[in-house]
Amino acid sequence: MQSVPADAAAQDRDIVALLQTGALEAAFQRTLARYQDKVYRLCCTLLRDPTAAEDAAQESLVRIWKAMGSYDGRASLSTWIYSITRNRCLSAMARRRELASLSDAAVEAEAEAQLQQLDSGGSEPQDMSAALRELVDLLPERYRRTLVLFYYEDRSVSEVASMLGMPEGTVKTSLFRARAALAEQLRRRGLDDPRQWLEAGR
Amino acid sequence: MSGDEFSASDDPRAQALDGALDGALARALTPPALTPGFQLRLQAALARERASPGSRAASRTHAQREQRERMAELDAGYLRLRRRTLGTLIGGAFAAGAAVAVVFPWLQDGFGANAIYVLASAGALLGIGIGTASWIGRVRIPNPFERL
Repeated sequence: MQSVPADAAAQDRDIVALLQTGALEAAFQRTLARYQDKVYRLCCTLLRDPTAAEDAAQESLVRIWKAMGSYDGRASLSTWIYSITRNRCLSAMARRRELASLSDAAVEAEAEAQLQQLDSGGSEPQDMSAALRELVDLLPERYRRTLVLFYYEDRSVSEVASMLGMPEGTVKTSLFRARAALAEQLRRRGLDDPRQWLEAGR
Repeated sequence: MSGDEFSASDDPRAQALDGALDGALARALTPPALTPGFQLRLQAALARERASPGSRAASRTHAQREQRERMAELDAGYLRLRRRTLGTLIGGAFAAGAAVAVVFPWLQDGFGANAIYVLASAGALLGIGIGTASWIGRVRIPNPFERL
């Protein structure tokens, strides 16, 4: 497990110090440099749509800019930023009524149906990575989010936990289950030979 | 956390699959990048926000808070100045009284009945000198009561 790099923690401390001196604009510019991509990746993971994710990331960053003066340091800077981002994404999801109307159970039922379609050869993925992405997309939502962010964030459990607002133990459990589910799907599709995956990466 | 840490099985084949799967996932799940126009759109949104009435109200509140803080600083400085001036005046009066008590007998020996006029003239000259020096700021007279 990777912890938050010392450099990242120092950058956060610098931003908080700027906020405490009232240098809001400088603090925001540094926040953008450090968090802009992470905010977008979190939005992408939650919304599963790059265009909607860019809109949500923009709204989140504007909201962060507006609220910077009221940041009181009770939560860590990253926790504060990610909770604003998650709230914006939840609002975006609520706007998309067709998604908001689906419960987790419905999403999982739909995923299962799509898996069965894949098992029956209903889809011909172009390569191993595409096949893997399809399988990841069909995972239960909480596992998919955790797994996708884990690889987006260079395998940092603590960063994923901070982004999703979860304990690290829960993230590890979700990762383990997500990979077990993936491995099971690979076995069912006859793709459980490690050599296939290694060769696909060359 | 690597692929090995994920593997709960002792089966070498399962472990190999876990390791290979970890590498394959890392290749398949590459972080998405923002489009080139994002920065421009964000800056435009921020500019709109800065110009919006809500933002102006926030700026006004911020400016009012700054003004209150500055006024409080000025008040504190004014009180400090008043205390120092009062201290200087009282100290100066005591010093002048002590100087008169010491010098007056000696003046009386030298000038007789005119000693009082000599003393008053000397005091007036000293006052005018100090006042002039303070006014034009050319002579810096150390203030012994500065720390009061």
